[in-house]
Amino acid sequence: MLAGPKLQTLLQLVKLASKEELIWINGYISGLISQDDASNATVSADAGSGKAIAGKLTIAYGTETGNSKKLAVEFAGKAKKAGINAKLVSLDQYRLNDLPKEEYFLAVISTQGEGEPPAAAKRFYDHVHQNGFKLEKMKFGVLALGDTSYPLYCKAGEDVDTQLQRLGGERIIDLQRCDVDYEEDAENWFTNFLARLNSQGGGSQSAAVTVAPAKKATGKKVYAGTVLSNINLNDRGSSKETYHIEIGADGVEYKPGDSIGILPYNHLPITEAILSLTGIDREKSLEHRTGNHSVVNLLHKKLNIAYLPERVVKQYAGIVKQDIPETKIGLLDLLKIYPVQDSQQFEEVISILEPITPRLYSISSSPEAHSGEVHITVAKDFFTINEELKYGLCSEHLAMLPVDSEIEFYVHKNNEFRLPAEDKDVIMIGPGTGIAPFRSFLAERDSIGAGGRNWLFFGEQHFASDFLYQTELQNWVETGVLTKLNVAFSRDQKQKIYVQNKMQANGAEFYSWLEGGAYIYICGKKEPMSFDVENTIINIIKESGGKTEEQAKQYLSNMKEQGRYLRDVY
Amino acid sequence: MSENNQSPVERIKKASDGLRGTIEESLQNEITGAISDDDQAVVKFHGMYQQDDRDRRDERAAKKLDRLYSYMIRLRLPGGFLTPEQWVATHDIAGEKSTGVIKITTRQTLQLHGIIKSDIRPTIQAFSAAKLDSIATCGDINRNVACTSHPKESPIHEQVFEYADKISTMLMPKTRAYYEIWLGEEKIVDKKDEEDPLYEDRYLPRKFKIGIAIPPNNDVDVLTNDLGLIAIIENDKLIGFNIAVGGGLSTTHGNPDTYARLATVIGFVDTEEKTLKAVYEVLTVQRDFGNRSDRKLARLKYTVDKMGVEGFRAELESRIGFRMEDPRPYKFTARKDRFGWEKNHEGLWYFTVMVENGRVLDDEKTSLKTALLEVAKTGKSHFRFTSNQNLILSEVKEEDKAEVHAILEKFGVIKAMDESTKVRQNAMACVALPTCPLALAEGQRYLPKLISLIEPIITKYKLDAEDIIIRMTGCPNGCGRPYAAEIGFVGTAPGRYNLHIGGDNEGTRLNKIFKESLDETSILNELDGLFASFKKEKKKGETFGDFSMRKNWV
Ligand code: SRM
Ligand SMILES: Cc1cc2nc3c(=O)[nH]c(=O)nc-3n(C[C@H](O)[C@H](O)[C@H](O)COP(=O)(O)OP(=O)(O)OC[C@H]3O[C@@H](n4cnc5c(N)ncnc54)[C@H](O)[C@@H]3O)c2cc1C
Ligand SMILES: Cc1cc2nc3c(=O)[nH]c(=O)nc-3n(C[C@H](O)[C@H](O)[C@H](O)COP(=O)(O)O)c2cc1C
Ligand code: SF4
Repeated sequence: MLAGPKLQTLLQLVKLASKEELIWINGYISGLISQDDASNATVSADAGSGKAIAGKLTIAYGTETGNSKKLAVEFAGKAKKAGINAKLVSLDQYRLNDLPKEEYFLAVISTQGEGEPPAAAKRFYDHVHQNGFKLEKMKFGVLALGDTSYPLYCKAGEDVDTQLQRLGGERIIDLQRCDVDYEEDAENWFTNFLARLNSQGGGSQSAAVTVAPAKKATGKKVYAGTVLSNINLNDRGSSKETYHIEIGADGVEYKPGDSIGILPYNHLPITEAILSLTGIDREKSLEHRTGNHSVVNLLHKKLNIAYLPERVVKQYAGIVKQDIPETKIGLLDLLKIYPVQDSQQFEEVISILEPITPRLYSISSSPEAHSGEVHITVAKDFFTINEELKYGLCSEHLAMLPVDSEIEFYVHKNNEFRLPAEDKDVIMIGPGTGIAPFRSFLAERDSIGAGGRNWLFFGEQHFASDFLYQTELQNWVETGVLTKLNVAFSRDQKQKIYVQNKMQANGAEFYSWLEGGAYIYICGKKEPMSFDVENTIINIIKESGGKTEEQAKQYLSNMKEQGRYLRDVY
Repeated sequence: MSENNQSPVERIKKASDGLRGTIEESLQNEITGAISDDDQAVVKFHGMYQQDDRDRRDERAAKKLDRLYSYMIRLRLPGGFLTPEQWVATHDIAGEKSTGVIKITTRQTLQLHGIIKSDIRPTIQAFSAAKLDSIATCGDINRNVACTSHPKESPIHEQVFEYADKISTMLMPKTRAYYEIWLGEEKIVDKKDEEDPLYEDRYLPRKFKIGIAIPPNNDVDVLTNDLGLIAIIENDKLIGFNIAVGGGLSTTHGNPDTYARLATVIGFVDTEEKTLKAVYEVLTVQRDFGNRSDRKLARLKYTVDKMGVEGFRAELESRIGFRMEDPRPYKFTARKDRFGWEKNHEGLWYFTVMVENGRVLDDEKTSLKTALLEVAKTGKSHFRFTSNQNLILSEVKEEDKAEVHAILEKFGVIKAMDESTKVRQNAMACVALPTCPLALAEGQRYLPKLISLIEPIITKYKLDAEDIIIRMTGCPNGCGRPYAAEIGFVGTAPGRYNLHIGGDNEGTRLNKIFKESLDETSILNELDGLFASFKKEKKKGETFGDFSMRKNWV
């Protein structure tokens, strides 16, 4: 069919191509054939550059709750359509040695904690902060996911972007920060990236691609709920207070595994004290990155004054021109010890204050079982300053919420913490408030009559006073929804017993569940619980599976890859 | 009797594999403080009851917490005796494993409450280390054997007292379950070793109680027992026992087939061998003839009445292989504890401590528990318990008396006793709320308060010197023997009691119901009226109980 020069060119190409390239060409051509006419033009126009980077685009993502992953998967799909064979990889699976070999590298990464990378990206994040290697070939772009309600907006993405350039990488598209309504910004960014690839053909002149600035208004859907009931689940004599709060909210949409976010207000007396101490005009409207608000509004409802991080204290020291030790401290105390000169200077201070961060609470209800309601399980946070007992801002507020009061919240989705198919077995490890999402899971599986087996590990200090949701769990054991329930009460005996001890004691059975395809879920305190639990799981796999440490770790890593090892820890 | 209409407990006993049940699994179940329903019946035979704090039920339910389950353990102390070392051990165990209160019961033994499931084993092991056990203090089996408590009652008290232990030992179940489950004894291989000719695999149809009295003091309320032994003493020599059968107090509100009954004296036996034989065979008659379908009608008293006293006696004699002699005469003249110091024939001293409702604890006024611990630590006094829920510091040598007394003085015990009225000293109440699952009204938590309201009435009518006996229970089961009191309060509902009057002072005549379901105000009004006429019309030496009868009030 082919004649003359065409055949010549093809044969020459075939002769020079490696086996992998041949396979790619094969795919590319069949892709071409299947294109419709409209896109045909673009594709053929792209073909040259697509060929140029064939097999060399890596899209790596670092996610906690699945948003970054979702985008990365979408991008990979689009790249394929565009004829680019993109490699999709989660940063925790990424081989760090491959980094210097990368040609085109996109990172999609969210920010967690206080400006930290997601757990799965930690290794990568630390690695790019080191020296000793050069990214000579790399052309990169970073998409940073975050939330403008947090002070360190998109910090992890920013850091990765900076580091890749420092290591010699070439930024072919500017960093894009995305707020919680990230879809549009992300899509535009990737389209720009593709365009850049094409126009460059692999070259490096920087075209004037305009990157949309982060939008002010967040795209969170805020619900106004009503408190239906609020009870302390701990009995008298407990050293804990854990509140089960039921919130009525018509039309609320969520899935088991999601959390809700709540923005607490500052204590009004503290706000008032600051106002009178500084003599600032309470009604004066100020421009702030959280929007234009009156001073009193800013100090009461918008800005973190309770416990300023060191970086803010440092800036404060600059403003008042004093030597202040680098420490966390409340604004009122700071003002008392290192006063501002006048209200003018205090306005400057306000401008450096950061927004109040939302507090997240795992949803402990199920949309199937508790329609129109959201339940949360809130541990009243307490700590002591100079031997005075203090409570956490948000959890104390929630603990005191009377029935019928209004409460605003948004749903924080977590696509990385979802129930598996109905027939799959599930092992849930949730000491303390870590039980919350599992109450949701169990209620959901109960309601839909899911056939998979369920095994829960719960732990707290004392059996008599701290067995959260005891009667509900007993009912689930009785009705068979819970196949197994193991509990560990650390302080009921001389030697401490934790959930991981109970797991270890049931090691053989635990392993046989894993072999049968069970999913593991962990929720609760990151430290030390989630690490101890993980080590125990590895140990169980080692002992019951007759494996080496390395093999056991690999086993767990495989589970992670299969989405069978899921954690929501804080 | 067909197996089908047997009560469920009968099935549980038979299926229990020598009282083992599924206790092991129940103990391992970590998600509840309870044990399985069947095991609850089985552990009674090991001397413990599952209970829960009834005060806390509603609040805990709202918190999605299960009931606050715990266990009460009742010791086996035939005749109610402890060495000072055993008291110290009990004190320590109570502090570590239970609510801390040591409760002296109406059957001369001790109970600890509030022991959580995981602590049962350690508790029993600690008791065992002190040579104490709780075998068969509950359940359908012979219970703690009661015996007149004060050695001063007779020079041969010790000899009679030993019968309590002999009988208790003879009537223990043969199963090793208690030792296996709680003390870790190796599992028995050959089940033949624990074959039990007395209890077989069905035990008795119901609980069984034995009491031994040394006339003239009827402090043990001997006639309220299924089987009562009345020591017959001539010239300071024990010549044998009158045998009384069919006592029992419990009734059920609204069930006319149930009734309280005093035991009927049916004969006399002389030698130890014959006595033990008779005791043993009373149990076998009850085993074979007792009602196993209706537990409300299963006590020996119903068996005796069903067979007729003569019929019962005939059956018994056919089993013991000899005829009992006719009962010997005896007389009870009192039914109380001798408070304060008393010396016995050997010159040893005894101090009876008044323990209100048997609850040994420290309160704002009196550090009774500390005082007793201090006394025990000297090692110079034994401990005895009375059927009136009191305690006797016993066998104190002349030279140690001052030291013991000083301790009692120091911790306010003497003062508290000096200040307490006769009516309070004679009173007793059952446990009831919050631990007793059967309680309809308060018992020991309320009686002290009620007495404080009754005392002024007694004083008003100048009746303070009278030995009026008041007893209260939280339900008609009668654990504080209210039916054998001069004034009995039997709980019907929260805050309400039936008022019984007309029992005699010696425990040989039951009282009768006078007014039903009274609240506190009505109780006080009624008593005011009764005491007013008692003051006005009583004959010299006439007791309140006898007066009530003479007036035909009931
Ligand atoms: C502790 C004690 C009362 C006290 O304050 O001292 C007591 C306490 C209880 N008795 Fe009793 N009885 C106690 C002496 C009595 C007596 C008096 C006696 O024996 O001299 C009686 C009446 C005499 C009789 O047996 O007829 C008595 C008749 C009952 C009954 C009714 C039996 C019947 O025939 O129907 C019950 C309920 C039952 O067995 O079903 C009962 C049941 C109970 C239980 C175990 C409740 C239960 O079954 O769950 C109570 C435990 C309460 C708690 O929290 O401690 N208790 N009980 C006495 C322990 C004696 C001992 O050391 O063994
Ligand atoms: C994904 C996720 C899920 C979560 N799920 C749950 C859940 O289901 N249930 C739950 O109870 N929690 C949950 N949390 C934790 C929750 O979001 C909050 O972090 C927690 O309630 C504490 O918030 P707070 O406002 O009460 O305390 P904060 O006021 O934020 O205080 C927190 C800590 O900061 C320190 N601190 C604050 N102020 C001062 C000061 N002035 N001086 C010194 N130290 C100070 C103290 O150490 C204190 O303990 C979750 C968190 C995450 C991230
Ligand atoms: C506990 C927690 C802490 C967070 N901290 C920050 C932060 O410091 N800065 C920020 O920009 N976003 C922060 N976020 C918002 C997330 O980055 C944002 O929800 C993002 O969409 C999550 O993407 P992912 O699902 O890929 O992890 C935080 C979210 C959570 C749950
Ligand atoms: S009399 Fe009734 S309330 Fe009192 S202890 Fe006995 S069973 Fe319980």
